[in-house]
Amino acid sequence: MVLIPVLERHPDDGWTLAVPMTVSPRMRRLLLKLADAILPDRPRTDATLDTVIDHALVSLQYMPRSSARTFLLGTQVLNWLPLLRFRGLRPLTALPKDTARRHLVAATKSKWLPVRVLMYGPLGLFMSSYFDQDYVHRELDYAPKPFVEERIQLRRKWLEESDG
Amino acid sequence: MTILAHRDYRAGDRYHADVIVVGTGAGGGVVGTELAELGHDVLFVEEGGYHPTSSFNPYLTESLPRLYRDAGGTIIMGRPPIPYAEGRCVGGGTVVNGGMTWRPPEKVLQDWQDLTGCPDLGPRAMERLFDRVESRIHAKPQRPESIGQDSRLLEEGARRLGWRYDQNRRAQDRCAGSNQCLTGCPTGAKQSTLLSYLPMAFARGARCLTEVRVDRLWIERGRCIGVIGKAINPRTRQADMEIRVHGKAVVIACGAVQTPFLLQRHKLGRPSRQLGKNFLCHPNAKVVALYPHDIHAWQGVSQAGQIREFRDEGILIAENAVPPGTAAAQIPFLGQEAFDLMKRYNAMAMTGVLVEDSHAGTVTRSFGAPMAKYSITRYDHERFLRGVRHLATLHFEMGADEVILPFSNFHLAKSVDDLSRIESTQRSRSTIELFTVHMMGTCRMGVEPRSSIVNLDGEVWDLPGCYVADASLFPTAVGVNPQVTIMALATRVAERLTLRN
Repeated sequence: MVLIPVLERHPDDGWTLAVPMTVSPRMRRLLLKLADAILPDRPRTDATLDTVIDHALVSLQYMPRSSARTFLLGTQVLNWLPLLRFRGLRPLTALPKDTARRHLVAATKSKWLPVRVLMYGPLGLFMSSYFDQDYVHRELDYAPKPFVEERIQLRRKWLEESDG
Repeated sequence: MTILAHRDYRAGDRYHADVIVVGTGAGGGVVGTELAELGHDVLFVEEGGYHPTSSFNPYLTESLPRLYRDAGGTIIMGRPPIPYAEGRCVGGGTVVNGGMTWRPPEKVLQDWQDLTGCPDLGPRAMERLFDRVESRIHAKPQRPESIGQDSRLLEEGARRLGWRYDQNRRAQDRCAGSNQCLTGCPTGAKQSTLLSYLPMAFARGARCLTEVRVDRLWIERGRCIGVIGKAINPRTRQADMEIRVHGKAVVIACGAVQTPFLLQRHKLGRPSRQLGKNFLCHPNAKVVALYPHDIHAWQGVSQAGQIREFRDEGILIAENAVPPGTAAAQIPFLGQEAFDLMKRYNAMAMTGVLVEDSHAGTVTRSFGAPMAKYSITRYDHERFLRGVRHLATLHFEMGADEVILPFSNFHLAKSVDDLSRIESTQRSRSTIELFTVHMMGTCRMGVEPRSSIVNLDGEVWDLPGCYVADASLFPTAVGVNPQVTIMALATRVAERLTLRN
């Protein structure tokens, strides 16, 4: 007998999400800056950046310590992207969002593989979290919950038909 | 049903069973169930948590940490680096895969028979095992009502171009096409080991310790007599209690990355020095087409079929719709540009090219974690370029406006003419963007210890009592989705496992 899922966020099945990894205020500022530059400007809520950063820090808890540290180290290297690209002496955290975004876009298109690889972690974590929010789903006209509910009912009907 | 979690353990807990099975996916779930049905006392040890069907939801921010290793953030280092995903929960990879049930081509099994000199691994002998597995996971084609527009589009494109398109047989019982394979099937249709095998094992008295990471084997007098692990606190993710499990035999089924990682701790496989080598991974390249009309790829089963026209070249083509979060992480744009593209999510056909490995990588231990290394060869690269070109051609044939290509220096093709630039721009193997979900072959089985890690019974040559039953056994790549091959080999290991008092 399969119980019907409630399809809500964080169902109470006795399983707990890890607490976010603890990072210094300075590191959090850097992550916020990166997320601000990577994510679309609209739609957002007041909590968007914090939600995305918290999700990233929760995800890091599920990785081996060495991987989590490598991710954080990589963000620090990204912070100095202007210097690495010989395009300025100030880190991303000291630059306006649009300028920081231009540097990050350049990193995703860089000829140098290690520079592109630096972007894998922040892009993957921030984008997957942002595009998982309900208000973003609405903008995309993506509504998995009613669709899945309908499919659960369809399967239930098939099961009943074969039982009958 | 005895499924214990972190809250149930006390420091220094010891458990005993006839057979300890580490892992509950396609390998562990099957070998443990078969052994339980033979009357053995089986204890599963699973690093992930137990999440029943009723807990699944379509949200990535919860599914990734709870169902995937490293919250989905794992990567194979090489040229190019290849992100990969594998399950970490009760049911393992079978909870988050597409449930495809392709048997390996006859030639692959013939090669296995020739390589090992063992007729048991040949196509005729393996047939019985495949039949058994497929009946237990209900392998069959989809109902037409469950198939979405993206699969139909690919099928029609293949028909127009005169290519062979085959329906997938999938591990499903009346799948209604909710397209949530990657986040755990919420309808209960997908026959992961969570729903197919494991309930049979629990009905026979098998037990399962969840949230326990096995970090070493318990070895006495040269024989494996158990495992030693740490219970992981689900809140802090700290390994805070040692758990020991004693048994007559241990079966390792943690997948082709984690299994060699565990065995390497004990410096096993010395006769052949092959442990962790022969790492195979069926890399994939993503091709996303944007159509002038909505196709709602997220409505309908993921991957109803495959284009197998180029199978002899080791190239498979299929659709694979993913949620917006995963799609957005793979597109080459940031900021509002990314959002403008994602606004067309409903018009996207997300497809991919899989290339069969032509060489192998390695898995080693590095700073307390496994390090997988793998680089594609020039031959693989050529096949990727060919496969991507074929697939993009199909999309333009079907009326796509634009196709997003998996190349960091050439992302957008606006017409079929643009595809002629692929060869001229893609001279380097570093610019292609790949990912994978099929890891295989790091503890290959064989007839002699000088060339393999385990014998034909699945027992590690230099550690009696320790068996392997997962994709790491594969002597070569299978060239198709590996689930039923893993299950068939796991069934065989269960049949041949002997217990010693």
